[in-house]
Amino acid sequence: MNFPVWEVSFGAGLLIALVAILHVFVSHFAVGGGLFLVVTERRARRKGDAAMLGWLKTHSKFFVLVTVVFGAISGVGIWFTIGLIGPTATSNLIHIYVWGWGIEWVFFFLEITSALLYLYGWEKLTPSLHMWYGWIYFVAAYASLVVINGIITFMLTSGSWVDTHRFWNGFFNPTYFPSLVVRTCIAFALAGIYALVTASLQKDAELKGRLVKWSVAWILPPLVLVPFFTWWYIRTIPSELWTSARGAMPTATHFASLAAILSGVTLALALAALVRPAKLRLGFSLVLLLAALVTMGSFEFVREAVRKPYVIQNYLYSNSIYAQTTPGDGGFDVDHINQAGVLQTGRWVETRELTANNQITAGHEIFRVECESCHTLDAYRGLKANLARRQWSRERLAAMLGGLNLMHNGVMPPFAGTDGEREALAAFLSSVGPAPAAQGPADGATVFQRNCSMCHLEQIQDPLFSNLAKEPGAANESLKNLPGLFPLMPDLKLTEEERSALVAWVNARFPNRGAAAGGQ
Amino acid sequence: MQAPNIIPAVDPNPLPAPYWVLKLLLIVTFYLHILAMNFLMGGAVVALAGRWRRGNRAFAVRSFFDVGRKLPSLVAATITLGIAPLLFVQVIYGQYFYTSSIVMAWPWLLLLVMLTMAYYGFYLAASQDEEHLGRAGWIHSVSLLLIVSIGFLFTNNLTLSQTPSRWAAKYFRDPQGWNLNLSEPTLIPRYLHFFTAAVAVGGLFLVLLALKRWKAETEYARYMLQFGGGAFRYATMAQFLVGAWFLVSLPKDKRMLFLGDNPLATTLLLLGIAGALGAIVVVGKALEKDNVRLAAYGGSGLTAFVILCMSVMRDILRDAYLQPYFHPEEFAVKTQWSVFPVFLGLFVAGVIFWLVMMKRYGFFGGAAGSGAK
Repeated sequence: MNFPVWEVSFGAGLLIALVAILHVFVSHFAVGGGLFLVVTERRARRKGDAAMLGWLKTHSKFFVLVTVVFGAISGVGIWFTIGLIGPTATSNLIHIYVWGWGIEWVFFFLEITSALLYLYGWEKLTPSLHMWYGWIYFVAAYASLVVINGIITFMLTSGSWVDTHRFWNGFFNPTYFPSLVVRTCIAFALAGIYALVTASLQKDAELKGRLVKWSVAWILPPLVLVPFFTWWYIRTIPSELWTSARGAMPTATHFASLAAILSGVTLALALAALVRPAKLRLGFSLVLLLAALVTMGSFEFVREAVRKPYVIQNYLYSNSIYAQTTPGDGGFDVDHINQAGVLQTGRWVETRELTANNQITAGHEIFRVECESCHTLDAYRGLKANLARRQWSRERLAAMLGGLNLMHNGVMPPFAGTDGEREALAAFLSSVGPAPAAQGPADGATVFQRNCSMCHLEQIQDPLFSNLAKEPGAANESLKNLPGLFPLMPDLKLTEEERSALVAWVNARFPNRGAAAGGQ
Repeated sequence: MQAPNIIPAVDPNPLPAPYWVLKLLLIVTFYLHILAMNFLMGGAVVALAGRWRRGNRAFAVRSFFDVGRKLPSLVAATITLGIAPLLFVQVIYGQYFYTSSIVMAWPWLLLLVMLTMAYYGFYLAASQDEEHLGRAGWIHSVSLLLIVSIGFLFTNNLTLSQTPSRWAAKYFRDPQGWNLNLSEPTLIPRYLHFFTAAVAVGGLFLVLLALKRWKAETEYARYMLQFGGGAFRYATMAQFLVGAWFLVSLPKDKRMLFLGDNPLATTLLLLGIAGALGAIVVVGKALEKDNVRLAAYGGSGLTAFVILCMSVMRDILRDAYLQPYFHPEEFAVKTQWSVFPVFLGLFVAGVIFWLVMMKRYGFFGGAAGSGAK
């Protein structure tokens, strides 16, 4: 609401995802592939392997065309997309880290120059000078990873920066080293994976066999090590962030499984390449490349999902609202917006006053400035489908919006705005989907699924099951006042029928659940 | 209906160095970027024009490929050198730059797709041999057209970023970002001013190539000197008309900055005009006498000076447009002493190391590589 929101029908976040995933898939290759080039050259020269050297020359052309062209432009693409879609976060990051990016840029221009000189210098330069440029390239490329890794990991785990606002506290944050090690492994694995592509095009079967074996030697060790380092990475992610990834929030769970499975597939395919290395086909190498791309993309999706509700942990929510009141935040923090309202605080809002007649218009604007950063109506994380499953009335929806930050293990920020604005948002969201179907007889499981499951897990240790009074009458009574049970709960007005059905279902579901009489 | 204050608030973080440091870095890095871009776009224009030039056909074709083979590296240089001003403009002018970018989001983003195509196009054109001149020519032309369009989109965005009063109407009419800034009166003359400058520098590119080739291939080099020098002179003469048009299209108060109201701006304009005139004269004399060194050093030196003046003038103009909204003295500043000197040190070391790398390869007449490309 500080900046205008770019409305992208399919979900703006997917644009960042597309550009960023393609970029990292190429940029990690740019790092690992750099070492691959110079080490392979040294090996080929020492063995007098002219054929391998000939292949390497072609491979280095492929390398430059992929990394220097697409890699560089897609990197700029990340700047463009984050500025368009997350300008508040980008503005924060650029002010905190511009010198870090400046350092990365020094390495970047050395990297590009040395890549081009390496490519053009095959025939012109002495072998030792040629490899000198190769080593410079790798050192510069790795250094740029060392730098950018600090800024990326800061967003997930901001460390003590939130308190000290010191550059190095943010840079060397809790996930810095695990992420660097994981990405280093990925870089070397990708070096081998991409090499298989150009290797598979070799007509000389004997050469192809050697190239495939050499490339797979780059793929296997890092891929085997990655799970261990990933486990280390996960352990350094604060539990409250990781918890939000479990449970009903689909993104992180799905993509984590996908990443695990596909990294296994990648490993298996790499091993399979060793069966008949001299006969490796281009199609096979491309499938392997694709498996690696989906693995890496899934890993990045998990990382981004786990970060929610923040775009900068403990500081800025994904919808560009500051978590705490900070001097200089322009009033775009939760507390201020709760008092002054979205419509008054936002700078890119046309409806300034709520009236009896403009609820839906106002609600639409509130949706745009507060929710569209992550949700569309019909497409990615589409709310229409979500709400159709829940079947909430407008009043219930308004109440639910009050407990947004409890949903799905805390994956969303709290709703920021006045009560009237919350109702306006509910009015808008109700208007976009079909009206809830006429309610049939209440079924306890359905009541749970529609009204409780976004915050409560169907597990015996969940507070709903462990704390609700066992005696049905007492339980039913306690459910009349949800904020009385737990102050942050939305004030849902469940009907008598719904309460009875729910209580009966809860008792049937976990007959051995224990609770003090009267609930907590 | 609109907010009285539609300019986004800056974030809570202080500037990580004094404002003047960031401004200096912005102008210097922009200057380097624009030089590279001029060589790229101008070189591509002149190379293409050379194909149809009357006179020595063999030389014309040769110069087309001679320049064409350098264009991929020039794209790399332009992009690499463009990143730094992209960073610094966000540090200082983010509130304006992000907003105008969002208002024209799709054209802005799609320019990167165009850039990717142009970049690969120049590689593809450069890889054609002389028998496939036709194919190389049209691939080159498409790539050039894309580059020319990218420049136009940049001019749209940067002029829009300077005129916040236009933002709301465009945004609320189309929040999906299909907007440009075509109603801006300075758009076309400003764009043409940059384009014409690029063509002039393209001419200088040929002159510099002529200098390099003079000893080994004097006839060919003379061809390039005459063609490139001539292109430079005509483009720079045209620039007086285009520049005047640009000046006249400015709102009166902005125009008067350069015509007396602002001493620095006025001095820079006068220096720029003097430098451009001087370059026309110097290069003219050089062409009369086939003096490649005079054309190359004199022409380039004066042009580099003129472009520097123009880069500062551009910045003064931007601040003048933003004057009602942008008050840099209000920025909080907290220099990051633990990292800023690291950047400076690495930057200086990096530039020195870069020069060493280039020298060892054979640029600047170094011994190790053969140097000729």
